[in-house]
Amino acid sequence: MLATEVPALVRFSHVQVRRGDRDILEDICAEVPTGGSTVLVGPNGAGKTTLLMCLLGEQSYAGDIFFTGKTRRPRMAYVPQQLALDRSMPLRVDEFLALNRQKRPLWLGLAAPIAHEAAHLLALVHAEHLARCRMAHLSGGEQRRVLLACALAREPELLILDEPEAGVDVRGERLFWEVLDAARCKCGFTQIMVSHNLPLVAHYATHVICINKTVRAAGAPRDTLTSHMLMELFGIPIHLYPDQCDPHDPGCPLCGAVGEEAQVVDCAAARKARESARMAQYSDLGKHAHA
Amino acid sequence: MPDFSPIYVLISCIPLECLQWRFMQQALFALFLLAPMASVLGVEVINFRMAFFSDAIGHSAFAGVALGLLLAVPPRLSMPLFGLLVGIAIVAVRRKSALSADTVIGIVFSAVVAFGLAVVSRAGGAARDMQRFLYGDILTITETELAFLCLLFVFLAVFQLWGYNRLLLVALNPVMARAHGVRVALWQYLFAALLALVVMFSVWAVGVLLVTALLIVPAATARNLARSAGGMFWWSLLVGITSAFVGLVLSAQDWLRTSSGATIILTACCWFAASLVVAGKRRQRS
Repeated sequence: MLATEVPALVRFSHVQVRRGDRDILEDICAEVPTGGSTVLVGPNGAGKTTLLMCLLGEQSYAGDIFFTGKTRRPRMAYVPQQLALDRSMPLRVDEFLALNRQKRPLWLGLAAPIAHEAAHLLALVHAEHLARCRMAHLSGGEQRRVLLACALAREPELLILDEPEAGVDVRGERLFWEVLDAARCKCGFTQIMVSHNLPLVAHYATHVICINKTVRAAGAPRDTLTSHMLMELFGIPIHLYPDQCDPHDPGCPLCGAVGEEAQVVDCAAARKARESARMAQYSDLGKHAHA
Repeated sequence: MPDFSPIYVLISCIPLECLQWRFMQQALFALFLLAPMASVLGVEVINFRMAFFSDAIGHSAFAGVALGLLLAVPPRLSMPLFGLLVGIAIVAVRRKSALSADTVIGIVFSAVVAFGLAVVSRAGGAARDMQRFLYGDILTITETELAFLCLLFVFLAVFQLWGYNRLLLVALNPVMARAHGVRVALWQYLFAALLALVVMFSVWAVGVLLVTALLIVPAATARNLARSAGGMFWWSLLVGITSAFVGLVLSAQDWLRTSSGATIILTACCWFAASLVVAGKRRQRS
């Protein structure tokens, strides 16, 4: 199933998750190549996050997950979508990075080597200027990069990310992927993540697993993110690669063909039509009541 | 039994007339042990959004006393033990159930209060005993209870040294904490157990109605004043200890003569009001 001959770090073998009488995952068989950037792609409710939770040991499952070439589980780090932070929380970025690195409690201050390490980690994710900022005051993109720095501090063999770019603007999203890719190449970890940003997946992923309860396709992005597969997964026409565009398809925005132009609505006319429809409905109800 | 008389001598050196009485010295000593514990745990209660949890534990005091009456066990023993049991039960149900935390706590809350009231309504004489727990009475604390408070204080200090960072990580994202090697379940149970014990002792000091305030108000004030997570710990401690001292002394003045628990909480609330002003000014500047 792999596009290249790179050995797999993780192998899902017939993984199955049921909740009540509903199948969340059915017979998942897939591999995560060592050192690669593997992305799980699929619609909402496809079971992508559930599969990550199985990998993290948070979700019970039937089947097996093997870690190839390892006698133990690889050292994992996890980047969640968000933290439970409210705006009044005075936790600083350097304190957050020290939480899992420093044995001494935060109320006895930050140890100098830990503060130095935090600065180094922040530089790795282009966030060195944020060290003294409050976590709760960061923008979505900044917070995700700090979360990535926190995960990198563990020097993971396997980095797991669950839609880390959700709720982040286009520029922040691009920067996150860039930083992540550079960190993976520099630190040499294996990465598996869930993402909905298909153009960035096509650009940065080395391996894609298309999933909708079962594995629909797995391999290199160009072989898996085909317009046919994306239609099957999402039920709408998406053309990521120009050579996959259908010249006869009038509704392909990516290759420039636009089926129908968006219209400005005449609000007054729409309201009038809605009211007359409602009146007609009431008069029908009145007739039924008389009858 | 340890001899606390050197501490009482030290307290008597404070040039305040009311602190020359032994029962006041005992009460102040108890508050100096209890207020720091409640304030520091309050920081974590706010981080975990568990104010309702501590309220439920506080209200289980009724059921604890009632159970003591039923089983002929001293209420001061049955109360903390029952609180401990309720705290651990809430965490266990929360971890296993798909219901939201406040729903689970709400159910336990109702059950323990109803049980307590049912027993009290059968045993007529118990109602007066219950009133003590409703409003709190730190002035009647005994030497045995002080010794236990000292033990709890040491245990909590070690717990905070060892677990402050980990607990904060768990509060921020338990899945991430577990993935990063923190034993989330262990810390959650330990925290709930310690919180339950501190809440039960706080019920003696300020009563069921005000127990949550003793935890929450210093920590909320600290959030307004602190510039870091480490600073929040120290601010909460300062607010808790000063409120306890000022509240107790004020309540003993002839011109005031109020309940000590209520006066302590009102002092803490004054701190909170001042912190709101400081936080507002800080926001304007930034």
